[in-house]
Amino acid sequence: MSILEVKNITKKFDNTMILKGIDFSMEEGEVISIIGSSGSGKTTLLRCLNFLETPDTGMIKVNGEVLFDGANIESNKRIQEEEIRKKRLHFGMVFQQFHLFPQYTALENVCLAPNLLKNKSSDEIKQEGMMLLDRMGLSDRMNNYPHQLSGGQQQRVAIARALAMNPDILCFDEPTSALDPELTGEVLKVIRSLADNNTTMIIVTHEMGFARDVSDKVLFMDQGIILEQGDAKEVIDNPQKERTKQFLSVMNKY
Amino acid sequence: MFLTVTLSLLEGFLSTLKLFGLTLLFSIPLGLFICFGSINKLKIIRFPIRFIIWVIRGTPLMLQLIVIYYGPGLILGTSIWNGTSGRFIAALVAFVINYACYFSEIYRGGILSIPQGQYEAGKVLGLTNREIFTKIILLQVTKRIVPPMSNEIITLVKDTSLARIISVYEIIWNGSAFIKSDGIIWPLFYTGAFYLLFSGVLTLFFGWLEKKLSFFK
Repeated sequence: MSILEVKNITKKFDNTMILKGIDFSMEEGEVISIIGSSGSGKTTLLRCLNFLETPDTGMIKVNGEVLFDGANIESNKRIQEEEIRKKRLHFGMVFQQFHLFPQYTALENVCLAPNLLKNKSSDEIKQEGMMLLDRMGLSDRMNNYPHQLSGGQQQRVAIARALAMNPDILCFDEPTSALDPELTGEVLKVIRSLADNNTTMIIVTHEMGFARDVSDKVLFMDQGIILEQGDAKEVIDNPQKERTKQFLSVMNKY
Repeated sequence: MFLTVTLSLLEGFLSTLKLFGLTLLFSIPLGLFICFGSINKLKIIRFPIRFIIWVIRGTPLMLQLIVIYYGPGLILGTSIWNGTSGRFIAALVAFVINYACYFSEIYRGGILSIPQGQYEAGKVLGLTNREIFTKIILLQVTKRIVPPMSNEIITLVKDTSLARIISVYEIIWNGSAFIKSDGIIWPLFYTGAFYLLFSGVLTLFFGWLEKKLSFFK
């Protein structure tokens, strides 16, 4: 069974259709990269998966469980906050701008949500948090506040924070776009190591080389639809659609 | 004479401090409620609250004191504010309403200045709206509103002198009483020292608070 099935997701803002019917599925341990120009709907798709936006139609299933069904849109509007919260926990989200909590140290950022969930002892949570930050190469930065960290370090804390909730699927929204070029490497390295450990991930990115190497599948989005999808290397090295070719040739120029 | 004046002014200042302290005690939380009302999604809540804020901020505090003190008597035919303590409570009510409205706008500015990403980061981690507010937003808002709040609170110290318009015996009242009783005006000038001293203490306190909150950015 697929870990994630997305069927015919549409989303309109005011009168603009941002998503015009998105279908894809992924298996456990798979890494999918979503590429495409800005405005193509990549970020909106990720936000729909994380319930930061409510799709207008369509269906989202995780492990066979229906998380969202646009056919029941009326009842969806009345979904309790509590229910949405539980559904969100299937997904982790890493933002372009990190969005760390400035008043907490790196370790406190990682442990905050697990501590509020209260299904483990706080000692256990702290141990796990330290382990996660260690995996991110931040063992010497645990007690630093976000403003004392570089962008790359902040993003790695944000990844550890998302992992601490053990999501089924970890989503990245252009994780390196806000970083200096020399800091993108350290973040990409961490994501790559997660991929090697079979973490299920959806990555919206403009790093074509990275998408090609790390992901199993690539989705090319254009004007609210998935124009082309398939094996990462095939799509990036040998795109079939004219629009995909054009996009990739522009991306490769720089 | 100096001792008599000092004692009398101290007594008045005590009443000034009481008005100041109680106004803060009630208006700081009330302001938060008003603030939530003024950013509420429902127009039926938001519009009336914004109307009240407009009226309170758009008219003099002096007038509000007079309306609150004399208003109930004119409407009900009998005053609900009796005696010294009644007048004090009337003044307190006027100050609390007035300052809560100003504070609510400071809170509103503080809350709106927190990037949406902070809320979203909390949401995707499965935090409840209440947890997001208390664990993430509140301290960041507090840090940002310290300078405008300290400004407003120092203004309140001096605004308490308006209460004399409804015969609350605060420090200016006591100071000016010496003009009539002894024909001397210096006690009135002397009251300034009390205000200066107190706002100095507050300035130090807010400086300390700002420093205390400077561990994050």
